[in-house]
Amino acid sequence: MNSPTCHPHSPTVFLVDDEEAVRKAVSRLLRSAGIAVAAFASAAEFLTTFDPAIPGCLVLDVAMPGLNGLELQQALAERGGALPIIFLSGHADVPISVDAMKAGAMDFLTKPARDEVLLAAVRTAFEKNRVARIARAETHEILTRLATLTPREREVMEHVVTGRLNKQIAGDLGTAEQTIKIHRARVMEKMKVLSVAELVRLADQARLAPTPAHRTKVS
Amino acid sequence: MSWITVIWSIVASACLTLAALHFVVWWHQRKAWGNLLFSLTAVATAMLGACELWMMRAETPAEFGLALRWIHVPGWVMLLALVGFVRVHLQAGRPWLAWTVCGMRTVSLILNFILSPNLNYREITGLRQVPFLGEAVSVAIGTPSPWMLIGQISLVLMVVFVVDATLTVWRCGRRRQAILIGFGIVFFTGVGTVQVILTMWGILQTPITLSWFYLGIVVGMAYELSDEVLRATKLTQDLRESEQRMDLATEASGCGFWVWEIPGDEIWISDPGRKLYGVSPTERVDFARFTGTLYPPDIEPVRAAVADAFANGGAYFCEHRVLAGDPSPRWIAVRGKTEFSANGTPLRMRGVSIDISARKQAESELHERRGELAHLARVTMLGELSASLAHELNQPLTAILSNAQAAQRFLAMDDPDLTELREILADIVSEDEHAGEVIRRLRLLLRKGEVQQQELDANEIVLDVLKLVRSDLTYHGVIVTTRLAPKLVAIRGDRVQLQQVLLNLIMNACDAMASNDKDDRHLTVVTRAAGDAALRIEVRDVGRGLPEGGPERAFERFFTTKPHGLGLGLSVCRTIITAHGGTLGAANNAHRGTTFHFTLPTWNR
Repeated sequence: MNSPTCHPHSPTVFLVDDEEAVRKAVSRLLRSAGIAVAAFASAAEFLTTFDPAIPGCLVLDVAMPGLNGLELQQALAERGGALPIIFLSGHADVPISVDAMKAGAMDFLTKPARDEVLLAAVRTAFEKNRVARIARAETHEILTRLATLTPREREVMEHVVTGRLNKQIAGDLGTAEQTIKIHRARVMEKMKVLSVAELVRLADQARLAPTPAHRTKVS
Repeated sequence: MSWITVIWSIVASACLTLAALHFVVWWHQRKAWGNLLFSLTAVATAMLGACELWMMRAETPAEFGLALRWIHVPGWVMLLALVGFVRVHLQAGRPWLAWTVCGMRTVSLILNFILSPNLNYREITGLRQVPFLGEAVSVAIGTPSPWMLIGQISLVLMVVFVVDATLTVWRCGRRRQAILIGFGIVFFTGVGTVQVILTMWGILQTPITLSWFYLGIVVGMAYELSDEVLRATKLTQDLRESEQRMDLATEASGCGFWVWEIPGDEIWISDPGRKLYGVSPTERVDFARFTGTLYPPDIEPVRAAVADAFANGGAYFCEHRVLAGDPSPRWIAVRGKTEFSANGTPLRMRGVSIDISARKQAESELHERRGELAHLARVTMLGELSASLAHELNQPLTAILSNAQAAQRFLAMDDPDLTELREILADIVSEDEHAGEVIRRLRLLLRKGEVQQQELDANEIVLDVLKLVRSDLTYHGVIVTTRLAPKLVAIRGDRVQLQQVLLNLIMNACDAMASNDKDDRHLTVVTRAAGDAALRIEVRDVGRGLPEGGPERAFERFFTTKPHGLGLGLSVCRTIITAHGGTLGAANNAHRGTTFHFTLPTWNR
């Protein structure tokens, strides 16, 4: 799922609803606000044909034949998706909306939804997606840079970010202070930072980056 | 004191009394010929006695001869009357024999008046006084005439005739009649004739006492006839009592009996019947008057029912209203039977009419209650569907709102695309219609009204119901398959109630599959013809199956497996289907799940 930082596509709403009239109308509304839309008649269709590289958000009906909205949400979570989800449901069912929000939905709107409400949610979602994508791209960059470090440089970096002085690090690792100084300079250069503070920040971000293996399922 | 006078007076008066009695009986009932003939016999016997007395007190041979001549008249009357009596009352005896006897006796009577002194004697030479019952009475001495034979033969023939008749009667089993009358006549006539012959030939020195013997016959006949009178009286009494009982019964039940003499167009109605139809106790009633008592819309159906009865064997059955009655027209049920003549024309119709207003009232109330109950069940069911129905309405509303707001935005642009705007408006209109449809269907089901009978297409009803519950089925993840027969004959029924039944069965099927896996909730609706005159609709699921206790348990009132269910749905459905002339049943499928099926009769024009 890794992709370049920027993408030429403008953010798109992925609209999934089994009712054709609703798809048409909501698509029109979004288009009239200058927002790109891709409509799908079922969750299955969406899963097989959507391009994960395109930024945007998901506007999703709940009650659909086959895979319903909540099940799609779960399937996407398992794939490690970053698309924020806005539910647009005809059933004003409290338990369902609670489940959806617990599972990480960004918003839960009831039909019929006024344009300001829907558009505001979409814009918020786009922003969230943009920020997430940027953060992901950054993390990706950091990890790329980290990958260029040698194991020794890696070790030194670990110690530097805990705030240890060169002399202390030399003592910990059993090498000369001068060696440490050279390693440290190389780390700063490879990591493209100018201060230790920045390095610390990058290290934090790298450690917190979620990888598919570490993700826990939220039910 | 003259014993002879006393005895002969007693005999004569007894005979005359009996004669008078039975004459009166005949007078009142002209068809009772037996009574008239008996009367004549009795009078003849009395006259016989009078002549005998005359003979006994005769002082000259000429007087004796005259008396003996005149005695033949009552004798002739007697014979003819007896023969007549046997023929008419016993209804036996050969007619030719009867005529022969009568003819012969008439001949002998005529001869009697031609010959001198009479039929019996060629010449009476003198009288002799013999003692008889303490008196001296005259007995003739003379030469018997051979012409007397004719008279005797006629008597013999009569005896033969009577014996033959008696045997017939005996064989019919009317033993008592046979003995009393048949044997009586034979015996007493025989004895009497013997006495006459012996007296004539001078062997017996007594006067003729034929009247005593004929009294025997008279008594026998009187007994027989009085037995009839007694029986008639008893019958009358029984009849009166029976009539009284019937009157009581008809008063209590409000029935009226009637008999319609069709050729003369006259209807007899019992008094309770007259009250029922609002006809006065004395006016003459014919068919026109009868139809005048009917509630106008029912006149044609009644005429048609009568015509139908005449054409098809005579049984008449009709329920109609009459104008009489307060406050509203009365309902009457009528049953009748027609008698036909030999060539098939209707002669008479007999029947009974009963007031069934109370029953009709109860029926109409029951009908109303059933309708109310069905409505209640329907509304409850729709209440359960309310979330899905709201969803069903939300779809078009969402489309309309988003379309309209999109249009507003497009219009706010510098160069709005009018084609797109036209499309938007067209979509709005069509979505509005769609919403209207949903509401219309819903309103139809919520309606509480009189049951209406219309020509309906079963497939259309199935599809309408499925449209209504579509969101609910989607929500519950139920996958619907329909197998609708293409050319189904129309059925007759109430659209709302039949939709209610289908809705109920479909919702039950959904519930049954609630714990199935998501891809395993298959609902199938099938319609097909079932024979020539019916069609069958089935709702099949693959759920948990019927509850314990067998399929019939599910139809019991107040039986439910839902935590908050009323349990009325299926029993109401059954009532609805039964009222439409069909049957509703259920059975577990061979593999798994249940099929609910109902049949409905098709509408034959």
